Amino acid sequence: MKLLVVEDDATTGTYIARGLREEGHSVDLMAEGQAGLIAATSGAYDVLIVDRMLPQIDGLTLLRTLRGAGNLTPVLFLTAMGNVEDRIAGLNAGADDYLVKPFAFGELSARVAALARRPQALEQDTVLRVADLEMHLISRKVTRADQAIELLPREFSLLEFLLRRKGRVQTRTMLLEGVWDLSFDPMTNVVETHISRLRAKVDRPFGCELIQTVRGAGYRIDE
Amino acid sequence: MKARIAQLWRSMPVQLAMLLVLLFSSVSLISLAASYAVTQSSFEAAIRADLAQDMVGFHAAPNARAVALLVEAESRETDPNRLILSYLSPGGRLYGNGAIARDDEGYHILSLDSGRAQYSGQYHTLTATLYGGLLTIARSRAEIEALAQVFLNILWISLLPTVLIALSGGLYLARRSKRHVEVIGSTLDNLTTGELSARVEVGAGWSDDLIRIGDKVNQMALAQQASTLALRQVSSDIAHDLKTPIQRVSLHLEDLSGQIQGGDQAALVTRAQEELTGIASVFEALLQLAQVDTGSARARFAPVDLSALCQTLAEVYEPLATEKGQLIMVNVPADRVDVMGDRTLMGQMMANLIENALRHTPPDARVTLSLARQENTVELVVADDGPGIPSDERTKVLQRLYRLDRSRHTLGNGLGLSLVDAVVRLHGAHLVLEDNDPGLRVVILLRLQDLKRA
Repeated sequence: MKLLVVEDDATTGTYIARGLREEGHSVDLMAEGQAGLIAATSGAYDVLIVDRMLPQIDGLTLLRTLRGAGNLTPVLFLTAMGNVEDRIAGLNAGADDYLVKPFAFGELSARVAALARRPQALEQDTVLRVADLEMHLISRKVTRADQAIELLPREFSLLEFLLRRKGRVQTRTMLLEGVWDLSFDPMTNVVETHISRLRAKVDRPFGCELIQTVRGAGYRIDE
Repeated sequence: MKARIAQLWRSMPVQLAMLLVLLFSSVSLISLAASYAVTQSSFEAAIRADLAQDMVGFHAAPNARAVALLVEAESRETDPNRLILSYLSPGGRLYGNGAIARDDEGYHILSLDSGRAQYSGQYHTLTATLYGGLLTIARSRAEIEALAQVFLNILWISLLPTVLIALSGGLYLARRSKRHVEVIGSTLDNLTTGELSARVEVGAGWSDDLIRIGDKVNQMALAQQASTLALRQVSSDIAHDLKTPIQRVSLHLEDLSGQIQGGDQAALVTRAQEELTGIASVFEALLQLAQVDTGSARARFAPVDLSALCQTLAEVYEPLATEKGQLIMVNVPADRVDVMGDRTLMGQMMANLIENALRHTPPDARVTLSLARQENTVELVVADDGPGIPSDERTKVLQRLYRLDRSRHTLGNGLGLSLVDAVVRLHGAHLVLEDNDPGLRVVILLRLQDLKRA
């Protein structure tokens, strides 16, 4: 993918750019709002990663100008302020997702991937599959290797969420938001406990792990 | 109703009116009393003069027989209720229309008719010996007594309208100024709860002093708004300036952990990462507290179904509790229980309470989430049967960064309950920490959303 990072802090910017390049993306790095805006309007990027606080033109203005000009490239907004107010300001200005500093690189990479390829599974799909695991959305039945798996309603939703984003890392906060519609950072390992329950039903009896832990980032379902 | 009347009674215009009425009545009373006294004494003097005049007239008679005849003749034409003439002749015969009798209680005037009835009312009497007989003339004081009634009537007629006009005027002014004071009061309430754009709208017909107070309130609100805005800018700057280095350290550590494979060094990096996460979370929580305290979230308030939110949170934390051998029980109505609020902040508030309960209780503990609807409030309770909080520490735990001695070694940053408190205040709700005997019972009293009005 072709990505643009607009971040005034050189250390953070360089690190993000390097990490994303290591993942195989082509990355442009800009340190100023003005340069960022020019690059964003001229180059065809798949995802923009924009910091809120920038010299000259700040992130919010950059976003508004971009959206005002009809540019609909997905934008991941980086902000030092994690409160709802700021998130809403960012989303209103046209951001598609936001990330509060300090963040782990894994979280950033997962969210960039989510932005670039949404939606993967189509809404009208009635069967979701990964390897020998099948989820029938209408009959709400789950089977693996033709054996039925009994899931509680919320376990079903969690598995569906992961399956619809097959191969893409989902972070803890993304799961809390997506499955339970709760947007806060829990101080405990609540999400892990749900994942380990799901694994006990979906993975453990079959000896092969489909739900994978991605260190420092989150979880992913893949073959 | 009673309280409202009492409140009206204590208002300044009513009190002023009362004071004026009291003053006016006192002055009227005193002047009326004085003129009554003067009039009365002049009436008395007139009666006495009349008596003396009468007496002189009888002295003109030549002998006792003539006096007796004169008395008889005159008393026949006289109303005994007005004037009594009585002559006890030297021969012991009584002439006239009344007799003076005396008993232990004093003098009485009796009728000479067969019943010997006693005349009521007071009389002024003058007695003199005349030609060996005893002549008594008594004039009734009835006119003077009637005078008292006349003065009393004057008092009523002059005072009653004054009192009524003054009181109703005072009440009218009081109710008007009460409305104006209420406008100022509700503005102050809004300002107190963080709605800093609230202003006193001075209407026509406001009194000068209230207009001045309103202006002062508006000036204060403007200053407060400016300083809050400045504070928000400062905290935004601080957040950016401090978070950028934290971000760098975090990324360096992540980089480092990727380069080290296992061993003590890896453990050290992990510990440093955990510490950094702790620092970031305290920082984030402080920023969030400051943000909640500004009250700006109120502009986004929408109906939040607490019933569903309780169910969701119980579901989210159930596996975590089960892992520790703890139990989360939910006791909420099956239908919607709506309050006006911010769902994210309410969710975080409840998550903080549940995490607190799970963290500070032993393995077999029970945590209960319950929701009870009352008339127009709803009671949200998170209770556990753990060690609880000593009563003298219950208010302290709401302070920022305060931690109980026994909790120093458990996870948490001492900001969880502060945020709960801030969110509760943001929603105009009430927070009470109670003894669950054993354990802690956190009660949050919220106003129920009126669906008819919404």
